[in-house]
Amino acid sequence: MAQTRIDDAAGAAQARPAGIPDSELAGPFPVGEYAAALRTRLRAFARVQLIGELVNLRPARARVYFELRDSAGAIPCAAWRDDWQAMLVRASREGTQASDALEGMQVVVAGGCDYYPGSATSSPGFSFTVSDMRVAGEGDLLARIDRLRKQLDAEGLLERQKRLPRALLPRAIGVVTASTGKARDDVLAALGRRGWAGRLVWGFAPVQDRHAAPAITRALSDLAAVGDVETVIVARGGGSLADLLCFCDETLCRTVALLGVPVIASVGHHTDRTLLDDVAAVSCSTPTHAAEAAVGVDCGQARARQAAAAGRLREHGRRAVLTRARALALLSRAPGAHLERQQVRLHQLLRETRAGARRRLDDERALSARRAIVLERKAASVQRDCNERHVRELERLALALAAHDPQRTLERGYALIESSRGESLPTAARAREVEELRLRFADDTLPARMLEP
Amino acid sequence: LSELEGQTYEAASARVEEIIKRLDSGEASLNETLELVREGKTLIELCARELAAVSDALEELRLDELVARLERESAG
Repeated sequence: MAQTRIDDAAGAAQARPAGIPDSELAGPFPVGEYAAALRTRLRAFARVQLIGELVNLRPARARVYFELRDSAGAIPCAAWRDDWQAMLVRASREGTQASDALEGMQVVVAGGCDYYPGSATSSPGFSFTVSDMRVAGEGDLLARIDRLRKQLDAEGLLERQKRLPRALLPRAIGVVTASTGKARDDVLAALGRRGWAGRLVWGFAPVQDRHAAPAITRALSDLAAVGDVETVIVARGGGSLADLLCFCDETLCRTVALLGVPVIASVGHHTDRTLLDDVAAVSCSTPTHAAEAAVGVDCGQARARQAAAAGRLREHGRRAVLTRARALALLSRAPGAHLERQQVRLHQLLRETRAGARRRLDDERALSARRAIVLERKAASVQRDCNERHVRELERLALALAAHDPQRTLERGYALIESSRGESLPTAARAREVEELRLRFADDTLPARMLEP
Repeated sequence: LSELEGQTYEAASARVEEIIKRLDSGEASLNETLELVREGKTLIELCARELAAVSDALEELRLDELVARLERESAG
């Protein structure tokens, strides 16, 4: 039937522009008609089961796309979303939990060939439309990579790059990446942020098709050999495992492991680690991180640090001499200063002694004054007592004297016999011895004469 | 001091840090201090040269062109 439609299309071409002169081939046919005929022919192919590794899984709005690969070839596959969901349910019953987990698995798919003829605005495409699927086990591809990783590890090739010294501030950096793409811009931007403006050698190479691994290997070998490159970055944005398979190439990985220049890999993400990530000196998740790893210092900050260090060194040098010179000057002045200090101390002591003496004198004076006042008061008190006592004594004596006064006796009626010369005649015998007597009374004295007995 | 010239940037900057740490400790004698200051200045000049070498202008080269040029030169 398909042959009939192509023949019809050939018939319709009679009215259309002429074909290539001298060509023996039929046509020209309108491409849309030819595409439709091709789809019809492909759909007529027998529906079969295929076995291979499921890679590069890309869910879209209506369909899910992936590739089925083995070592000899690959075929693009597609499944309607509803069919895919049913297949996932079955896979989960068999132990595969999620759609992403199918990546790299060995699967059996059932379906048939199909061709989307495209249109004026959409691209055509061939696919094997999958209507059923069964997970057959771990993919041979992943198992092969794992075996290779173990082998490289056993040979010590995973560690060789990591032991290489890495320049903190390389003058020349090599970058292996695609000539177009975001990875190149990211590396440039990150180096710019570091303030690094040295020599950058671009080793452009395809990074995801079957030519990639040999081209990358060659670029790495050349970069290590020329341009005084001190560090090499292999950069690529993320991608499915199938896109990254070139970075698991054995020759590439062995070449990297044996390079004398450290290689910084940033070809995928942590979820899809490649063998290159394992053999490289450093493995980064993004090209930006790789560039930052390649230049270990921020050049602007480093300049500021060096300027500060230079300043501190100058200061240390100046201070080392100055401090010691000052110490020496201090030592040379020490005897004079000591004498001066002693003089000052003596003066101080003298002043203190004088002040102490003055204070003592003042204190003593004050004490003496207080004592004088007390003594004065005591003397006055004693004088007063003494005077009073004397007065009383005198009064007593006066009284006693008065008591003995002859006048008082005379006043009581007695009379005193005296000689004419005033001598007292206490006895009759004495009175007889004198001729003239006087009788003294209290109020007057009268002359008397002794009569002859 | 001539042997200092061959040092890498990272070794030189690390040694400068060590020198400053030693000087900051105040335990270095006068002779040692002057010697360390002299060594430090030489290393800082080396670091400054390394920084200057990657500070002027980014020089972008293509590996294929570089290889071709080298091959021409070796053939000539």
